Amino acid sequence: MKYFIFRNQTIEPFFGDSNVGYSGYGDISVIPDANSYVWFYQPSITPDAKVVSQEVGNYYDKLQMVLQNISQDACMIVFTLDILFNVPVTGDDFDVQSAICDFNAKIFDLAQQDKRIRLVDFSEFTSRYSVDQLVNWKFYFTTQAVLNPKLAKEFKVWWAHKQEELALKRKKCLVLDLDNVLWGGILGEEGVAGIKIGGDYPGNAFTLWQQALLQMKNSGVILTVCSKNNEADVLEAWEKNPFMVLRKEHISAWRINWQDKATNIKELADELNIGLDSMVFVDDNPTERELIRQVLPMVEVPEFSGKPYDLMPLFRKLVDRYFRIYSITDEDKVKTEQYRANVNRKAAQAAFGNMEDYLRSLEMKLAIMPVNDFNCTRIAQMTQKTNQFNLTTHRYTENDIKQMTNEGCPIYAISVSDRFGDNGITGEIILRPKGKDRMIIDTFLLSCRILGKGIEFAFLDTILNLIADKGVKMVEACYIKTAKNGQVADFFDRSGFALTVVTDTIKNYLLELAQPREIKDYFRISFK
Amino acid sequence: MDDRILTIMRDIFEDEAIDTTCSQGNCEKWDSLHHLNLICELEDEFDVEFEPEEIAEMTTFAKVKEMLVSKC
Repeated sequence: MKYFIFRNQTIEPFFGDSNVGYSGYGDISVIPDANSYVWFYQPSITPDAKVVSQEVGNYYDKLQMVLQNISQDACMIVFTLDILFNVPVTGDDFDVQSAICDFNAKIFDLAQQDKRIRLVDFSEFTSRYSVDQLVNWKFYFTTQAVLNPKLAKEFKVWWAHKQEELALKRKKCLVLDLDNVLWGGILGEEGVAGIKIGGDYPGNAFTLWQQALLQMKNSGVILTVCSKNNEADVLEAWEKNPFMVLRKEHISAWRINWQDKATNIKELADELNIGLDSMVFVDDNPTERELIRQVLPMVEVPEFSGKPYDLMPLFRKLVDRYFRIYSITDEDKVKTEQYRANVNRKAAQAAFGNMEDYLRSLEMKLAIMPVNDFNCTRIAQMTQKTNQFNLTTHRYTENDIKQMTNEGCPIYAISVSDRFGDNGITGEIILRPKGKDRMIIDTFLLSCRILGKGIEFAFLDTILNLIADKGVKMVEACYIKTAKNGQVADFFDRSGFALTVVTDTIKNYLLELAQPREIKDYFRISFK
Repeated sequence: MDDRILTIMRDIFEDEAIDTTCSQGNCEKWDSLHHLNLICELEDEFDVEFEPEEIAEMTTFAKVKEMLVSKC
């Protein structure tokens, strides 16, 4: 048996029946021997939120009981909980949400203490669908399948991919070439000041890539260098080039000489006392890549086009394929820090009587940037993942974003930082021109973690002023209701838009851009 | 139409020998869960929707076909 699945509803269409065993619904009294277990519970469908939240509270106790009764070598894949169906009758009823958050937070903690646990973020799958797609009532009433069996095919593809990720052996060490990998150009020919890093393209691509690698290093990946160069030149470049992000102190070991790279990589492995099978080699030269593939087949050698703008896709591939097994604990580490920063923010809030003083003291910086190759992925991702502060919940792919850009739709992302930390890109707006002096707000969304500081209004008003300067006179907007975006139902009302049409699910608005909109002066706003 | 139905049935019940005499009574794998899979596949393949009452009746190849003929 490959997996034994603990479940509380009909999920056979999703996990299939070959090599898989199922518990009874909600049953943990029988625990057969298996190498791997899956914990797939989802809140049951009951209109009484109190009942559901209590039930959810019990899941964790059940899971712990099971963990006490399975072998120390077994593996338990736990799916996070998501809300498949929840209709709070009163708007301020968050019992189910908080029970679910509570369960998820507890299993994040548990996963860090108990090595047998692997987490799978189920919302990664469910967030692709609308509420009506997730539950098919006909099948629910006839077979108790809460999750729509029609999604089974897509689920299987996603789950197969997740299993691969869970099974991957994480690599430990990245071996980097230098010329045209860490910087543009040949150091030996162009000199310390001549190599391309920093400034405009292609230098900016190398800067971002180096910053990304630095993050990787900070999360525990060993960085090494293997390059055909004069060591003295490289040491000088690391020390003297002002744009260099990765410097000598970030590189754990290096072989900078004219010896063949296979020998060098073997020496690096010995020096660091790690296996060759935990190394990944990056080089722009296909001949060098081929050499390593042939001589050291246990070293992973990803393809790289050598084009500077392909470095970030390469980075993503490195992370996805080699340096992240199941990322939750790592992500959690980052989140913990953000949470800590949030705690500090809260403490600061307590010290000020006046909200305005507090907001001023945060020294909030809003950087507004148009869509580009580097933020396009994030912009598309946010449309897919943001559910709560999302006015229209249009889901877009990266290609959709590119196409809209080509069609002349202004798209801006906002990056938010304050004196407690940088939240990165956490919001976006997509506008569609309509005629000469009119625009439609197609998408307006913000990540929940930056809310509560008036950033939403500052961002919207900044953009409105920007387009007003460009001659736009009227703006159309709408709010499309979903199960999760109730908190923004009156956002446009509060922003001074005039309501034109209201139906059960949609509110349409119009705004005349007469005079500049006033933005609180404690926001430092910049355009990139 | 027979072939399209049989292909789906053979696939879901994992039995290449299935023919037009197949029914819930003589096909070991045709339990309630495989029935659900079968209905999903048929709905997708023929672009139709079955009512719960219809789903409950579709217990033999002949009845499946009859139901599809009435809808397509």
